[in-house]
Amino acid sequence: MVMGDFAQGTQVAVIGGGTGGYVAAIRAAQLGLEVTLVEREYLGGVCLNVGCIPSKALIHVAGLKAEIEHADKLGLVTQGTKVDLSKVILWKNGIVEKLRKGIESLLLSHKVQVVTGSARLTGERSFDVESADAHGRFEFKHLILATGSSAAEIPGMTRDGELIVNSTDALDLEELPERLVVIGAGAVGLELGMVYAKLGSKVTILEGLPTLLPMLDSQIPPVIERSLKNMDIGLVLGAKVSGVKRTSSGAELSYTDADGDKTLVANRVLVAVGRRPNTSDIGLDKTGIKLDKKGFVQVNERMETSVRGIYAIGDIVSGPMLAHKASYQGKVAAEVIAGQPAAFDGVEVPSVIFTDPEIAVVGLTEDEAKKQGIKVKSGVFPFKALGRTLTLGQEGMGFSKVVSDAETGTVLGVHIVGPSASDIIAEGCLAVASASHVDDLTLTIHAHPTLPESIEEAAEQVEHRAIHIFKPERKS
Amino acid sequence: MREVFRLPDVGEGIAEAEIVEYLVQVGDKVKADQPVIRVETDKAVVELPAPFSGTVAEIPHKPGDTVRVGDPLIIIETDVAARPAAPPKEAPPPPAEREAPEAVKPVPSARPPERVVPIAAKAAEAIEREPGKRVLATPHTRRLARELGIDIATVIGSGRGGRITDDDVRETVGKAAPPPPKAPTAAAVVAPATAGFDFEKYGPTRREPFKGVHKRTAEVMARSWSTVPHVSHFDEADVTELLKVVRQERPYAEERKVKLTFLAFLTKAAADALRKYPKFNCSLDETTGELVYKEYFNVGFATDTEAGLMVPVVRDVDRKSILEIAGEIQELSRRARDRTIDLEQMRGGTFTITNVGALGGTYATPIIVHPEVAILCSLRAKERAVVKDGEITVRTIMPLTISFDHRVLDGADAARFMTHIVTLLQDPMRMLVEVA
Repeated sequence: MVMGDFAQGTQVAVIGGGTGGYVAAIRAAQLGLEVTLVEREYLGGVCLNVGCIPSKALIHVAGLKAEIEHADKLGLVTQGTKVDLSKVILWKNGIVEKLRKGIESLLLSHKVQVVTGSARLTGERSFDVESADAHGRFEFKHLILATGSSAAEIPGMTRDGELIVNSTDALDLEELPERLVVIGAGAVGLELGMVYAKLGSKVTILEGLPTLLPMLDSQIPPVIERSLKNMDIGLVLGAKVSGVKRTSSGAELSYTDADGDKTLVANRVLVAVGRRPNTSDIGLDKTGIKLDKKGFVQVNERMETSVRGIYAIGDIVSGPMLAHKASYQGKVAAEVIAGQPAAFDGVEVPSVIFTDPEIAVVGLTEDEAKKQGIKVKSGVFPFKALGRTLTLGQEGMGFSKVVSDAETGTVLGVHIVGPSASDIIAEGCLAVASASHVDDLTLTIHAHPTLPESIEEAAEQVEHRAIHIFKPERKS
Repeated sequence: MREVFRLPDVGEGIAEAEIVEYLVQVGDKVKADQPVIRVETDKAVVELPAPFSGTVAEIPHKPGDTVRVGDPLIIIETDVAARPAAPPKEAPPPPAEREAPEAVKPVPSARPPERVVPIAAKAAEAIEREPGKRVLATPHTRRLARELGIDIATVIGSGRGGRITDDDVRETVGKAAPPPPKAPTAAAVVAPATAGFDFEKYGPTRREPFKGVHKRTAEVMARSWSTVPHVSHFDEADVTELLKVVRQERPYAEERKVKLTFLAFLTKAAADALRKYPKFNCSLDETTGELVYKEYFNVGFATDTEAGLMVPVVRDVDRKSILEIAGEIQELSRRARDRTIDLEQMRGGTFTITNVGALGGTYATPIIVHPEVAILCSLRAKERAVVKDGEITVRTIMPLTISFDHRVLDGADAARFMTHIVTLLQDPMRMLVEVA
């Protein structure tokens, strides 16, 4: 880092090199802007280093193990499986390393100046960067804030990385805990809970809310509950954790649910109770940037904050804390800076949870649509009625569901729980973003035999005419 | 209830403006007639007042954006209670609603004042989106709408179930902007000529929006060049004596806080030539086929500013002293450079002078500011060896050019006009004797 007493000027500064920040930097560079990217820890952010990517690697390993163990009924006889956890972690780290290097070289190719250190705004046109070996001041014409989020903690249950861990630690465990208690049945809690259960831990998940995944289409949670049961994972809903006591073998966790006070023994406790935007410690108080009631940076559809020339994207602005939302917004911010008419204008953000089976949703649920006063027509198609599901050796838990506006035929939402839901949802995303008609889905030829046929069939079922199930319209 | 403050028609066929600055932020309380936005139209920056009181709910644009007449500038939550329930969905919108954008027609007055309160505001509110109604359009169509500066929520979809097509968006543009986009603007003339050029083929390029003053200049110049047959006539004036007078009178002018310039003398000389040869002060009315002789003498002078070329106008130069003219030129140039000049101060010219002397050059062929019929250009005065009364002497010589509209004027007219100016410039005493 070349720094001295003089401030370095840059056309566009990006603070945060996560999925939102590095994508914004590349797009800005593509549009001919001079870009400086400041990252305090690692390029790729939480998603690449301690989030989406490493967790998906572990999920794959755990899923493969489970599949092999159940392969005998497919005629594939194996003599058990053995997990070499250190080798798994090494493999996973290799993937992360490779992708991070890829981002580094992309930024280099686009002539983005990458500065390592923590940035703190000193005003509305400058910030200081501090790192182990240097510090310096940067002045910018435009700034994109992409500082992301951090795992939230429960008071009284401070992370120690050994007994009480967060999602980051849980991706790097050196040994498998015999008994793992997961606090929080959100995406992270469910995904990692299932991974550890498949690898051999006895897992219990405690959830504070009285229902599982309440934001999803109401037909999805029962499928997941059934799957948890099949994996012998305990799920306690409406559980309020009251404290943790250290014992010689681990911890004794006390909680209260509808039946009264209870305790649980655990060798490890994974706290996965959501994330908080990283809006403190970056000097926002030195600017007129306004936060909303929940602590997110206020932005308009062009990602502009209340201070002209400063943009914010990703986890620090309201909406789901998802990498693909951050990168989309990053592109919008960069394009707006370059003078293009870009906007984050109500395109629906899909959500994917890599449970077994996977959950993938986009757009409105039936309940949400009804609340908006829309008359809804839906079609549901179960995976077990699909040839492809069975050839994959799966029983076919779950379904695809298409929610439409009964008056206009517009596809309002697509909700999938089932094998490869994360891949199948792409068609739903396009349909919802394009305000497709249900007919657009039924009249598109879907290749056979594939899992996306479930979308075509679910769309057909909106008018009760799916071919591969018999469920005629009920006359009321 | 929410009211939309749209770009009003500020007159003289101005179809679009660039937003310079918002003077309010979302959440601010505003009073009717309080200036809320600065926009650059034509060649001036104009402050527009809020047409109603309330709280700023939304600012749909940012500085630098180009907006067309009728585009929303600010959405204001007024203190008036909302209308009762929304009309039933089935009811077709009354014709008035469909035609709402048409209401943004120019105010039928010859010279509307700059601070026009949009009469369109009321009609515009009618096309506000029904609450809860989804906009049915693909991401591509939404982007197209943004590109064309259209709020997609105001577009009426012609597709199945009210889906908005690309054509619907394009048609809305046509309706919202009084002059249809097919009008022969400079952009329209230029676009086909460069269409299909692969500029990147031979190396990297950089693109910048072409807008504001530059775009306006391009339109005016292209129109002039394509309608007016230009002829340029060159001459020289020996300004040795005049420069002495300028230097001699400067301290007197400075005591009156005026910088006496050669340009003021040239303007006065031009004023006299215009009175003597009134055809140079007329315009050709192409619709009636008449020559319009103006009985006022307003001289515009081209001013180079950071934002581009501007032409402020000094009025009634025939009735003002050279000192007064110098003072006005000084003040108007300052305002042009500061962008505080009013549109009106750049209108109504009958003749234009462009002085590129300070920047160098020997001759130039300026383009006429249509519908004027001539433009005078003065270049750098230089000392030269001149034969005078059979002897070689050193004199200060200034080259002059006049471009004229050959439909209205002939070469002989230009020679006479120019000779008169040269005579006055060469002999300051003559100016004293002859000029009114």
